[in-house]
Amino acid sequence: MKAAFIAYNQAHVQDIEDILHQLSIRGYTRWQDIQGRGTKTGEPHLGSHAWPAKNMATLCIVDDNIAPILKKRIQALDNSAPEQGLRIFFWEAIDV
Amino acid sequence: MKIYETSVKRPITTSLIFVAIIVLGLFSLSKLPIDQMPEIEMNQAYVIVSYPGASAEDVENNVTKIMESALSTVSDLKELTSTSKENTAIIGCEFNWGIDIDGAVNDMRDKIEMVKQALPDGCSNPMILKISTDMMPIAILSATSKESTAALYKILDDAVANPLNRINGVGSVSISGAPQREIVVNCDPNKLEAYNLTVEQIGSAVATENVNTPGGSIDVGSETYSLRIEGEIKESELLNNIVVANYNGKPIFLRDIAYVSDTIQEKAQESFVNGVKGATIVIQKQTGANSVEVMEKIRAELPQIKKNLPKDIHLEEVMNTTDNIENSINSLVETFVLACLFVVIVVLFFLGEWRATIIIMVTIPVALISAFIYLLITGNTINIISMSALSIALGMVVDDAIVVLENVTTHIERGSKAKEAAIYGTNEVAVAVIATTLTLLAVFFPFTMMGGMAGIMFKQLGWMICIIMIVSTASALTLTPMMCSLMLKREKDKKHNKTFRKIYSPIKRGLDKLDVLYERLLTWAVRHKLITFLIACGVFVVTLVMAGRLGSEFIPASDNGQITGNIELPAGANVDRAKEIATRLEKAIDKNIPEKKTFTYTVGTPSDDDNNSFAMMNASGSNYISFRLRLKDLEERDRDMFTVAEQLRKEIGSYTEVDKFSVSAGGGGGMTSGSTVDVEIFGYNFEVTEKIADSVKAAMERLEGFKDVRIDREDYKPQFQIEFDREKLALNGLNVATASSFVRNRMNGMTASIFREDGEEYKIKIRNDRAHRQSIEDIENILIYNTQGKAIRLSEVAEVVERQAPPSIKRQDRERVVKVTATLYGTTLDVAVAGIQGEIDKMDIPVEIGTKIGGSFEDQQESFGDMGLLLVLILLLVYIVMAAQFESLRYPFIIMFSVPFAFVGLILSLFITGETLNLMSLIGGVMLVGIVVKNGIVLVDYINLNRERGMGISQAVISGGKSRLRPVLMTSATTILGMVPMAMGIGEGSELWQPMGIAIVGGLTVSTLVTLVIIPTVYGWFASREVKSYRKKHSLHLSRRTVKE
Repeated sequence: MKAAFIAYNQAHVQDIEDILHQLSIRGYTRWQDIQGRGTKTGEPHLGSHAWPAKNMATLCIVDDNIAPILKKRIQALDNSAPEQGLRIFFWEAIDV
Repeated sequence: MKIYETSVKRPITTSLIFVAIIVLGLFSLSKLPIDQMPEIEMNQAYVIVSYPGASAEDVENNVTKIMESALSTVSDLKELTSTSKENTAIIGCEFNWGIDIDGAVNDMRDKIEMVKQALPDGCSNPMILKISTDMMPIAILSATSKESTAALYKILDDAVANPLNRINGVGSVSISGAPQREIVVNCDPNKLEAYNLTVEQIGSAVATENVNTPGGSIDVGSETYSLRIEGEIKESELLNNIVVANYNGKPIFLRDIAYVSDTIQEKAQESFVNGVKGATIVIQKQTGANSVEVMEKIRAELPQIKKNLPKDIHLEEVMNTTDNIENSINSLVETFVLACLFVVIVVLFFLGEWRATIIIMVTIPVALISAFIYLLITGNTINIISMSALSIALGMVVDDAIVVLENVTTHIERGSKAKEAAIYGTNEVAVAVIATTLTLLAVFFPFTMMGGMAGIMFKQLGWMICIIMIVSTASALTLTPMMCSLMLKREKDKKHNKTFRKIYSPIKRGLDKLDVLYERLLTWAVRHKLITFLIACGVFVVTLVMAGRLGSEFIPASDNGQITGNIELPAGANVDRAKEIATRLEKAIDKNIPEKKTFTYTVGTPSDDDNNSFAMMNASGSNYISFRLRLKDLEERDRDMFTVAEQLRKEIGSYTEVDKFSVSAGGGGGMTSGSTVDVEIFGYNFEVTEKIADSVKAAMERLEGFKDVRIDREDYKPQFQIEFDREKLALNGLNVATASSFVRNRMNGMTASIFREDGEEYKIKIRNDRAHRQSIEDIENILIYNTQGKAIRLSEVAEVVERQAPPSIKRQDRERVVKVTATLYGTTLDVAVAGIQGEIDKMDIPVEIGTKIGGSFEDQQESFGDMGLLLVLILLLVYIVMAAQFESLRYPFIIMFSVPFAFVGLILSLFITGETLNLMSLIGGVMLVGIVVKNGIVLVDYINLNRERGMGISQAVISGGKSRLRPVLMTSATTILGMVPMAMGIGEGSELWQPMGIAIVGGLTVSTLVTLVIIPTVYGWFASREVKSYRKKHSLHLSRRTVKE
């Protein structure tokens, strides 16, 4: 089992939901209206006057075999609009 | 959930709400009446008191002064004027604009009630007359005839006036210029004397013979019959057979001592239409009826009416107010359509895309049509004010939508889905969009609070633009994102066809080039702040100098093709001489003025029976000619009415017989007939004020541009006065009242009875025949009988002398006044006023005499004062809105730098087009404040954003400027081009709006260009000082700390 943390520009919300749905990932936790900034590139999403964009984050626990597919789908989405900002991180989930 | 999110997620609800608004708006539009101006409550009321037998001075002292002191305490009174003439006092109250006139009239009534007791015995009850717009005729028809002249009145009354009166909305139809039938018994005074008879006896004989009496009823068997004595004369000829007296046992018939003529009134006003004698039919509407609608009904009825008339009678429209209304509205519609087209082109030009253009264009109908709902609810009309409000708003309604669309597009290009882009893109700019709308509201809301005459004109405009702006913002935040989410695509997903690419790619390249050029210019300016600033200041100072040379007037005159005027011959001239002059003028007009459509003139005095309330106010007499020249439509002629009026003045001026005359272009219709200057001279002494008035008149005539210079005090009129010797009268057992009634009955005639025929009533008048009413001897020979039946000749008890009748006494604000009035032509108000003021200053005027310059000048001063106040109020409000948005006092100040350059543009454009500074161009200037700061807000906001994102000052300024160049240019261009058709002046009535259009186009163009350079520069200057002072403060702190440690 892996914990996937997806941090993304709130404009992606519909796409992310679609991907989770297609991969039959039912359970997730989502944060709305949060702030964040990429490590290397991209605009900050701070919800301020200077950087009005905002982020959302979704945390979901997925099976090990689903994780790579999820990663692939998320990266494809990121590549289609690199300026929007979208990242996925995995942890090992020890106990469910 | 935010409103734009809801609207994007519920497209059906959103679009249907706006469909509902449009449907309601169109419904309102179909119900809205059309009129020239918003309803103007007239602000004048008159009190008329008659005091028979009193001279002008008696009336002034005993009636006018009492009434004036009572009325002067009525609230909201602006000006109190009065005219005291023989037998009558007329006191006029002018109130401030926009008050409730009914309340004011009630107030007047109360005050009059209080002083009524103080009026001398014999005064009539004071009559209050309220002037309303409904009293103005909506149409004047003329009827000319050849054979039917004698019966014209009856024919017109039956066949024209009655059917017209039946039309819903027609108030009253009155016929003038057609003499009414009258039956006159012309007595021969010599024969009367021979039989020992008097006119009065004949009168009573006629009256007693000409009666119908019900005699009760009689029962015959089982039936009841009513008894009736039909004594009334069936035919006028039968009057001859009346026995008036017995002389030596023989009956004396009326025919023995008099002859009966069944004729038309001897003295009446005569009207001529295009040289043919005829009658004029004046049509007034009912209170609250819509002119255009009523006129349409009248026009529909006219063909039927014409069919019923005898063949020799021709009906023609001489004047109607509705043509002008329709033409003005039509030309504004034309202006509006053209403006729409321009706006579409601009949007398409900058966006290069049909879908985006459609999204933006949808805002226009939605916002504008919503204004009609407001108009219907508040009971307003479609008029030139509301139509031009639409034109003004047109260029501004798309701005909010443009800002939203631009940001949504950016999001889509970054890769968002259209739906998300619409929601989050709108979210980001919503605050800015609302702020810019608030600045516009800060400008237009104060319009709704204006007072005075300008208030009446601009209240509606202010409300309409406020409502349109609010709806357009609402639509930009809901409808626009909704449509964006459905219609927009990413650039790379779009398929452009070849022709589009061919056309648009050069435009795109041009715009890109413009970006680069602007960047270079801005870089230079930011690096040379001082020079840029000095150049700007220099330009500003130069235009200020220019402004001094700009003429000023009150309200631009507009050409409605009506010229009216009157000519006064020397006092005492009779109607025939007046007619001759009028015919000569008519011939000259036929020859020299091809623009003529109809020319009507009226000569003579109205008869006593004309119950025309206007006749009371207007000067008339046998020596007056009043005329009206109607010109062809504007498209069919080259010369404007002012030039034609000037030519008429020259023509009439060349007639040596004419004493005074005036020609007024625009039909004297108040607001639009050009500027007037009145010099008011206050002072008690007639001779002194008259002398000054004469010299003022002479001075005005010397100065250029003053036309129709007149002194409003009438001339002394020659008249015969009968001076009774009271002692002799008393000796003969007579008094002045009896004696004078004898004179009146013989000369003017006495109305003895009424002759009835076909349900109409005609007066039977008895007087001396014409042959015995021609000389002083005829008057002197009048026999007066005393109660003993003894006859005394008038010459025995009285003397007939020729005298000059003193003129009426005019007063203003409770002081005697003489006004010297003039119309202006070929000069501007300020020049004219300065000229005449200079002349007056040079004159030697006694201390007790006051002078004042009134007329349009007074209105102008008042309105310009209001405008100044409005401007200050608006600047303050705009500053507050901006300060709140930026949470700073400095940035709004920087943005305000674009305002002076708006005025630079305004002055330059007025200077180039040769327009004057008037109420309209000033209103344009006031509006500019709100429109130009919008650009500044957009720029400064983005520069701030750049700095917050970590850029240095110079970089923030330059890149901010560059990235906002297109939106600023685009929103400005839509507003400017939306105004261009108005500035071009299309069609009738456009003269009124042209200065405003020019002012806004010029001001906005210059200020946009300057704003794009000067605001970033000033921003840079302020910001660098800010940074420096911050550093200085900081370094001080550090050094202190270092010292302490």
